[in-house]
Amino acid sequence: MAPAAAPLVEFPLPSTVENIETNFEPFYVLHKAPSRKNSRKTNPCGKLRKKGKLSPSGPNGIENPETEERDDSTLEHLRMEAFELVWSRIETTIKDVLRDTNVKVFDDICRWVYKAFDAIRSSGTPSSSSASRPFPILTRADCKILFTGLVLTKNMEVVDDLLTFEELGYHLKSHRCHVASLSSQELSAKSSIDGCIKSLLRQLLKVTVDSADMFVLASWYREQGYYENPVVVIVEDIERCCGSVLSDFIIMLSEWIVKIPTILIMGVATTIDAPSNVLRSNALQQLCPSKFVLGSPTERMEAVVEAVLLRHCCMFSIGHKVAIFLRKYFLNQDGTLTSFIRAMKIACVQHFSMEPLSFMLARSIVEEENKGFQDGNRALFLEVLSKHASDFLSDSRYPLVEGTGNNVGNVLSELERWQKGWSAVVQCLYQVGKYGKVQLLDLLCEALDPQLFKPITSENSSRLQQGKGVSFSSSCELQYQFSSRKDGYIYQAIRKVRDLPAELLHQLLVSWEKITGCVPEIHEKVKDLLLAFKLGDGKSSEKAIADVSKRHASQKDLFIKYPKPMIEKAESFLSSLVSEHTRPIESVPFHELICFKDVRKLQLALIGDPRRRIQVDLLEFQKIIKCTCCNENRNSLLPCAHDSTIMYNLAQEHGDLINLHDWFQSFKTVVSHPRTKGNLRTKQGSTPKKKKDKPILENKSDASIQARFCTAVTELQITGLLRMPSKRRPDYVQRVAFGL
Amino acid sequence: MEIDDLDDEELAFSRNYFLAKELGGSTKKSSRKLADIDVVDEQELRAAAAKIEPKHEKEIAALIASYKSLYSKWEFELRCGFGLLMYGFGSKKALIEDFASTALTDYSVIVINGYLQSVNIKQVIVAIAEVLSDQLKSRVRNASGSTSKVHQPFTSRSMDDLFSFLNGSNEEDKDCFVCVVIHNIDGVGLRDSETQDYLARVAACSHVRIIASIDHVNAPLLWDKKMVHTQFNWLWYHVPTFASYKVEGMFFPLILAHGGTAQSAKTATIVLQSLTPNAQSVFKVLIEHQLSHPDEEGMPINNLYAISRERFLVSSQVTLNSHLTEFKDHELVKTRRHSDGQDCLYIPLPSEALEKLIMELG
Repeated sequence: MAPAAAPLVEFPLPSTVENIETNFEPFYVLHKAPSRKNSRKTNPCGKLRKKGKLSPSGPNGIENPETEERDDSTLEHLRMEAFELVWSRIETTIKDVLRDTNVKVFDDICRWVYKAFDAIRSSGTPSSSSASRPFPILTRADCKILFTGLVLTKNMEVVDDLLTFEELGYHLKSHRCHVASLSSQELSAKSSIDGCIKSLLRQLLKVTVDSADMFVLASWYREQGYYENPVVVIVEDIERCCGSVLSDFIIMLSEWIVKIPTILIMGVATTIDAPSNVLRSNALQQLCPSKFVLGSPTERMEAVVEAVLLRHCCMFSIGHKVAIFLRKYFLNQDGTLTSFIRAMKIACVQHFSMEPLSFMLARSIVEEENKGFQDGNRALFLEVLSKHASDFLSDSRYPLVEGTGNNVGNVLSELERWQKGWSAVVQCLYQVGKYGKVQLLDLLCEALDPQLFKPITSENSSRLQQGKGVSFSSSCELQYQFSSRKDGYIYQAIRKVRDLPAELLHQLLVSWEKITGCVPEIHEKVKDLLLAFKLGDGKSSEKAIADVSKRHASQKDLFIKYPKPMIEKAESFLSSLVSEHTRPIESVPFHELICFKDVRKLQLALIGDPRRRIQVDLLEFQKIIKCTCCNENRNSLLPCAHDSTIMYNLAQEHGDLINLHDWFQSFKTVVSHPRTKGNLRTKQGSTPKKKKDKPILENKSDASIQARFCTAVTELQITGLLRMPSKRRPDYVQRVAFGL
Repeated sequence: MEIDDLDDEELAFSRNYFLAKELGGSTKKSSRKLADIDVVDEQELRAAAAKIEPKHEKEIAALIASYKSLYSKWEFELRCGFGLLMYGFGSKKALIEDFASTALTDYSVIVINGYLQSVNIKQVIVAIAEVLSDQLKSRVRNASGSTSKVHQPFTSRSMDDLFSFLNGSNEEDKDCFVCVVIHNIDGVGLRDSETQDYLARVAACSHVRIIASIDHVNAPLLWDKKMVHTQFNWLWYHVPTFASYKVEGMFFPLILAHGGTAQSAKTATIVLQSLTPNAQSVFKVLIEHQLSHPDEEGMPINNLYAISRERFLVSSQVTLNSHLTEFKDHELVKTRRHSDGQDCLYIPLPSEALEKLIMELG
């Protein structure tokens, strides 16, 4: 097909694509990729490994547009590289976390698999003569038992478990099992047992065969060695499988079990009795089930959020509104981790595609990776990054901040320092919150709320008087502090410290010590606290719990002057941490570099709402099209509006059925009647032939109005907002959508 | 709060629904017929439809042009591994093709017209694989000069093989992918679940990126969570264009032409003219009966046979039956049970149409 089929025009008006023959080809090649990428896009910065080629582009100032354009694409590539770096970091972190949460179950399963395998082998291996016969060995009934692991996923949505089972497959493979997995589609009535065997052959033998035969599998297994490793078949979702096909499959596997020692693992989303609901009784008899339980989605979610947003694997972070949205999305939308991760990725992509300076994030990662050894290319890369960045920073868009001199290095290290402190504090809070069942996402949302980062006024002047509080940036000397909401989760977490028995308190302090390791200033204090606890304060603290009343003591007071009961110390230490270090990202200068805030963009990209928005397009046509004539008279239906808009507006007045004749008449009235004041929706069908304003309208023939009516109906039919007349009701169309 | 909003929304929705139902029931149902409209000839109607003057041409052009600023962002997102899903009122065909031919020049682009009936998904996937293999070959040649080993032709490979080829490793060059533009992924040609399943598997391949458009308000119902979250990986873009659905609507019958008396008489005439004169005359007998007895259920077969035999139109019951089969196949004649239990024949056309028809048959 000719690549130039669709001519490039300034505005792709419909008329230009109307009569092209490709419109009637089911599919065609629009164009092929050039054999060499053209120069504009040739990796202007190359991959990180070959930074040397990077052309120093003219930075400050007005040069010819070509340079400017190249500059743009260079920056775009830098941002792309930064995105790849950051996201691959996050992705690896997520995978690691998920693997860690499952690793115990996986180990259990693996041990069980080998135990089951031993049990199968103990009932005898086939002799060499019998093994070569193309049919299963007939044995006693008790040797036909198929060991089956039922993995309870605690998750109605199979989508989260796909990854889990994939990981389980890898895990078992790494323990020398032969693993194949069957999806519910392969176990559907349509593909039947034939499809299952073919799929097994494809996965295990890596060949595609025409005839599905278990003997092929058996002889393959025999060639693999002397019955040393089990074959594991994973069925991800038993509830979705076709019961009869799965039953047949199980019976077949059990018949071949001596020749092919197979162990079945099935994902169960509902309850443990799912197999008895799905399978036939003769298949059920063959199973010897064992139960394994995976972690709940909420647990996994907490672990992922903690790893990605707190244990700063990279600098990327999200704003308060985005966090709120994500929490709501997780809780209300579908509660799957997959969709949450997808939302994070979209946020990340949006950030890197919109924020010009976002490529700076790559710098911190590269620097970190680069620690300890010198690499010329990387050094050069860093240099180029800094150069571009300082151009941006000198831009008026970013306010000059004292102490940084708007120097890239300073800005970044400042941000990094902030993030370390902030996330350490939130993690400390989370550790306490765990005892009070506070969810991490709730805590996080609150800690990100810029509203809570208030100037210190007379309200909390008591703190001012005590004259404490070390701010981390010179720009916010004492004027601002984070004050947690009285009914908030942070407050709840702080209060929780009081209720802890000495033993748990000690555990808590130890965990704090671990968390704050990267923030020396806090770490020291935690160590002091721990020391004080060990010196014996802890013992006396328990009885003091009851009479703790006032807490606002400064740190100096805490440690030196007044040796107060330990619990109180810990609590006030935590609250002072919160007020000093929990500076929400949105009030940190230059947070735009690392923080994604545009919740609206995220929401639009993540959740399309065609049902609503297409109707709004039709009903509020003039807002989108921004035409002057329609904007003047918002409340009336003007003939100049889009035909489908007129029709859909008229349709709103009907019930669920629209009489085509009436509809046509009112459409005709609107389009053939020029501007009228007031609401045209009141029928004016009786006076369609009054004098007209514009001469064009006069020669509107019946044919043209009918044609416009037909076209508009077709357009509404394409959007699915109408159901066409049926034989029973030839004169009516049916409305499908009611209200937005 | 937010949850309350949601509830409110749902409440409003159900209220609207019942209000609409009520409106339909309480106000006197307009009983006017479509036939009352004096519809022009279909050809004239089609001609007029082709000549409809677009409204707000300038504003629409400006609106579409305003999306140009998003092109680089879209490209960025494609490269990041997402699929783009365009929705909003108006044909997005021109917009997407413009995007593909200006911003995606570095990648091969295949266009699928989902609004056509005749899309064969296997052929499409083979085409994608061929384009990709060309692309890969040229890369390999550029890089090392070596040619890849001879492959089995894609047309004879199984779907699974094709998918594993498309999903090959792209560690070396993440930017090596084929863009697949799907106009109306919710269109008639692609709407069935099997095709959607294949499309989802294509979309999940590492060497493929999808840019698709939907127009139907309920299009998302085509996909389950696995498809949406792990395979298509959509980024939604609301891009109303208000451009007319000329190409997409090409195969929809015009509502006025379809239901009109003239139209049904005309199609019947065309069918009848292709039959033998005797068959036409048998049909005339039926018309005459129906016109003279408009209130009856129809004409009993025996009567029809008797009259036809009298007029020497048929010689036996067998001949009559063969005529009747022909009529029934073209839906010119239907049967229903008479109150006395006898099977009756009738023509499912209004009297006006019958009159027209008898005139045309001469």
